[in-house]
Amino acid sequence: MAASRTDLLQGTLDLLILKALALEKLHGMGISRRIAQITNGTFEVKPGSLFPALHRMEQAGWLSSSWGEAETNRRAKFYRMTKLGRRQLGAETAQWERISLAMASALRAT
Amino acid sequence: MSFRRCYNFCRNLFRKQRADRDLDQEIRGYLELLAEEKAQSGMGRDEALRQARRELGGVEQIKENVRDVRGGVSMDNLLQDVRYGLRVLRRNPGFAATAVLTLALGIGSTTAIFSVVDAIVFKPLPFPNAGRLVRIRSVIAASGDGGVASYPDFLDWRARTRAFDAMAVSRTDGFNLIGPREPLHLQGAVVSAQLFSMLGAMPALGRGFLPAEDQPAAAGGADPVILSYGLWQRQFGSDASVLGRTIRLGDGPFTIVGVMPPAFQYPIQAEPVELWTTVAVDARGGADAVTTQRGAHYLDVAGALKRGVTLRQAQAELAAIAGALNQEHPENKARSVRVVPEIQGIVGPIGTPLLVLLGAVGCVLLIACVNVANLLLARATGRRKEMAVRAALGAGRGRAVRQLFTESVSLGLLGGALGLALAVASLRLLVRLIPAEVPRLNSIGLDGRLLAFALLVSLAAGILFGLAPALRVSKIGVTASLKESGRGAGSGGKERSRTRDALVVSEVALAVVLLLASGLLIRSFQHLTQADPGFDRQNVLTLQLDSPAGKPDSQVPAFFRDAVAQIGALPGVRSASAVASLPLTGESLRSSIELEGQPTPMASRPSAAFNAIEPNYFRTLGIALVAGRDFTEHDGTNSTPVAIVNRALAQRFFPNQNPIGRHVRPGISGPGEPPMREIVGVVGDVKQAGPGAAAAPEVYAPLAQIRISPMFIVVRTANDPQSIVAPARRQIASLDKTTPIYHVETLDRYFAQSVAVPRFVTLLLSGFAGLALLLASVGIYGVISYIAVQRTHEIGIRMALGAQRGAVLRMVVGKGMLPALAGLAIGIAGALRLTPLLSSLLYGVNPTDPLTFAAASLMLMGVALVACYIPARHAAKLDPMRSLRYE
Repeated sequence: MAASRTDLLQGTLDLLILKALALEKLHGMGISRRIAQITNGTFEVKPGSLFPALHRMEQAGWLSSSWGEAETNRRAKFYRMTKLGRRQLGAETAQWERISLAMASALRAT
Repeated sequence: MSFRRCYNFCRNLFRKQRADRDLDQEIRGYLELLAEEKAQSGMGRDEALRQARRELGGVEQIKENVRDVRGGVSMDNLLQDVRYGLRVLRRNPGFAATAVLTLALGIGSTTAIFSVVDAIVFKPLPFPNAGRLVRIRSVIAASGDGGVASYPDFLDWRARTRAFDAMAVSRTDGFNLIGPREPLHLQGAVVSAQLFSMLGAMPALGRGFLPAEDQPAAAGGADPVILSYGLWQRQFGSDASVLGRTIRLGDGPFTIVGVMPPAFQYPIQAEPVELWTTVAVDARGGADAVTTQRGAHYLDVAGALKRGVTLRQAQAELAAIAGALNQEHPENKARSVRVVPEIQGIVGPIGTPLLVLLGAVGCVLLIACVNVANLLLARATGRRKEMAVRAALGAGRGRAVRQLFTESVSLGLLGGALGLALAVASLRLLVRLIPAEVPRLNSIGLDGRLLAFALLVSLAAGILFGLAPALRVSKIGVTASLKESGRGAGSGGKERSRTRDALVVSEVALAVVLLLASGLLIRSFQHLTQADPGFDRQNVLTLQLDSPAGKPDSQVPAFFRDAVAQIGALPGVRSASAVASLPLTGESLRSSIELEGQPTPMASRPSAAFNAIEPNYFRTLGIALVAGRDFTEHDGTNSTPVAIVNRALAQRFFPNQNPIGRHVRPGISGPGEPPMREIVGVVGDVKQAGPGAAAAPEVYAPLAQIRISPMFIVVRTANDPQSIVAPARRQIASLDKTTPIYHVETLDRYFAQSVAVPRFVTLLLSGFAGLALLLASVGIYGVISYIAVQRTHEIGIRMALGAQRGAVLRMVVGKGMLPALAGLAIGIAGALRLTPLLSSLLYGVNPTDPLTFAAASLMLMGVALVACYIPARHAAKLDPMRSLRYE
């Protein structure tokens, strides 16, 4: 269901969302755009994957949400990373680095 | 984390609407932002919105996905399914009513029987130590018969055991309370002092017994007595100062030391126990006392296991102790010990019939479930298109199955609610059918356990009968269903009809088992009531009397003789006499006997029933005098000791000889060594132990030479025996005002009581068999009508092609009779294995009685045939043109 130019690995979406929220709170569109920006447009997260992921992560306690005003005075729901989410980001980052290292060396091997 | 999930779940559940609104706004906000972004890049406003919508995708789908990750969603789906299910039921009131009513009958009867079985068998005993209480039965090793123990054996068990915290004896007895008012006969119990502490029961007032009180009080002293709450209220005006007061019970003075709380009962039995005293009353008489005789088996023994000790361990330990006792006391040789849960000792012989009934009613419930499964299956076929459409619209298979289960469980719960109402309404009637001797009836009623049971059964039933259609749906492919275009005889038809056949087979098989069981019980009951008890039970009044308190033993026979003479002289009395043990009650005395010329050590003497009678007893009850003479008033203390034996004894001990003039020595006697008694007569066998028991050897001796009390006065009347009650009471009061008269009954009533348990079981089981037969025939009828309707088109073609009505009829009937026959065969095979379980309830009928099996099979086939024939004839009568057009 992850509609993106590159299919998202399971769990990658969570990591990207956490990363996107690392600096500031964002609304759904903002998160989507920020992910596109930080991955140089490789990943484009569609609402069909984004919203379930946001709600799931909120349930897990990694994110908290509040209503606020978006750029053009529109009401939007903003997400913010919680302490728990920050710890999760650290853990997932470490995990991801291990995987990517392993993958890279695996692919280099002849 | 789990707290958070819980919190979210609840929040989502209760604030579902708000959560949904939030989500809606959130997504709309996203859409607007997206559109704005596009508009900023120079797109027209409408175009931007259109593009944004396309990029967003299916809003509803997103929402559904979000809801799926949110807790509480399954609850929401469930409610949706229930609402939908109820709507479907409302749309098909006929279907719903049939299903709910069928289930209500099944669940209702199951719940009603469960409430009875639960109250009598399953509910824990009302003692703090209930779980550890056991009954210790002293039995004859070879046969397992017996159950009561002797006091010396009990003392040795208690002294040597390590598995028990405590052990106590008990026996019930009648006590005559002689006070200022008229004498009162009370049911009492003689118990070990330790009993109350063993049960964990505390008196409401005063104290329990002290260990030393198992010994008789010093000469002139009073033994202790504890009153029941009810007796204390009724006879002593709830006066707390009764403690320490001395009352007269029969011959002796007793000091009231305590009053038990209202709910306390022990032993637990139908007739409430009103007072308790200690075994001291049996220990009076020093070296001759019954408590010193190892051969006198007359006490029930209960024990409380130590914590952590199992029944098996206790059994092993006591068996070893009993073995050692057998070595030490040769007269004990043949005895062994069985430890059973106390509840089993209390429930007694009604336990098996109750469990049989519970099994039977479970079968009825299964048949009801099968019927509803059939109904659902038929309807599922009609709904296949609906299901296919839902599947095509994206409903997962799991969701569809869940929907079906929700519907069937809802049906189950509806049926269960109605069934529970039926059960509660029928409880009072049911209780009235239960024999009066059954204990613990007072706790039958609607309570939490019953509600829980009904709920559980309803849920289980719902799942059970929902299984067939749900499995079906899970197999159906969407495209296949849609292509099938709703016509009955499609590709899935074969498999479906196999399921239906299997259902018919199973319900017929269940009905056969029930029909056979009830057939056997009915035949057995006929045998039981028609069996010759050996006496004429019409127009005989019986009443029980003690000899008046304080009368010396030697005057006991004279008192009863006077009573018989006075009552015998009343107008309307044909004949009167007295007897120690009435027939059919099973309460006869047993005595060892020794035969003339065959000196035998005590331990190996045979035993026989023993009875003391006044002259004219045989004439009064219409018992045949086969040879010799009856006792006369001349058979007294100073004349030759005499005896009359029954035919069974004569045949067993004097085969092919004339017993008249020979001698036997029964162990029970008047004062002094038991004498050899000359046999002066032989009488016909009387069913002493009950109508179903085989006649056992019995010895009668004249009361004048025995001196037993209490005695039954038996009176044969010309007309209604009840008309003699009042004059008879007056006559006895004129003899003595202090002796109460009790157990005033007719022999007919005793007979009714003696067959009450078989009557109850037979009645209920026949009712259930009838219900099973009805449900099974309705089931067969339903399946056949359904098949007939489904195949209307095919039948029309066949007839248009020249098939005769008869052939069509045969074809449709055959469709139904084939599974019915298979069910019959399976049912008979099952019954052959199951009916032997009934053998303890059967009298005069073999558990595999061919006549019963044949009759039940014929009956079932007849009913099945009718159930098939009616819809088949309907199908065959159809006009071929109309059936061809039928869709």
